[in-house]
Amino acid sequence: MSDGPDQDKGALANPNRRMVLALGAAAASTVVTIRPALAQTAGSVLNCEIPVPGPQAGGNHIAADGTLVAPGTPGSYAPAPRPLTGEEVKVMLRGGGAPPGIDSESAQAYANYIRRLQSGMSGFTCYASLQMPR
Amino acid sequence: MSGAIYMADDAGAVRSVELDGLVALFHAPSGMTHIVAPPAPQILEALGQGPGDARAILSRIADLYEIEEDAGTEAIEARLDELEAVGLVRRA
Repeated sequence: MSDGPDQDKGALANPNRRMVLALGAAAASTVVTIRPALAQTAGSVLNCEIPVPGPQAGGNHIAADGTLVAPGTPGSYAPAPRPLTGEEVKVMLRGGGAPPGIDSESAQAYANYIRRLQSGMSGFTCYASLQMPR
Repeated sequence: MSGAIYMADDAGAVRSVELDGLVALFHAPSGMTHIVAPPAPQILEALGQGPGDARAILSRIADLYEIEEDAGTEAIEARLDELEAVGLVRRA
């Protein structure tokens, strides 16, 4: 009579029972993105600029992993000589070349800094726009 | 043979909420919210252990879940393409 519920309870109570995961067909899409309002601004994305670092962190250098460090810290890079454009950042984040006038190691540190940008930080809206799927 | 190596952001960059079989992910760096279905959350979980290609990801998933014996990497690669397109993973 109560076979069903008892079976369920047994299965849940067994810590060794592993979840079954269906990988599905390659064609079956699994991601839906909810676009925030700022997606509407994406038209001018490639013309926006990202200062590295932002003015609130002016003077700091950038470590290879993108964190801000004091000037003179070993292995750190001087701030970008000019704000980077959206187009340059887009290329850089996809593993393309460094922007003109910037060596590839500095560019890698700048790319990591940009990946760490959070809402409210200078350049964040530009970076977020670059991430918008089209 | 190994494919492209992928990596995910640090766990702190993504907040997730389980929604009855689906998972809502808020990706703080991009400010975007995604709703993902299996096996996408499991791929991200596997990449939480460090960068890896589709084969490594499949093997990590197989450590935690029952998957088809003959499961290939095609479905994983297709999901990685999608996750890359929305910025949840990137090539290492």
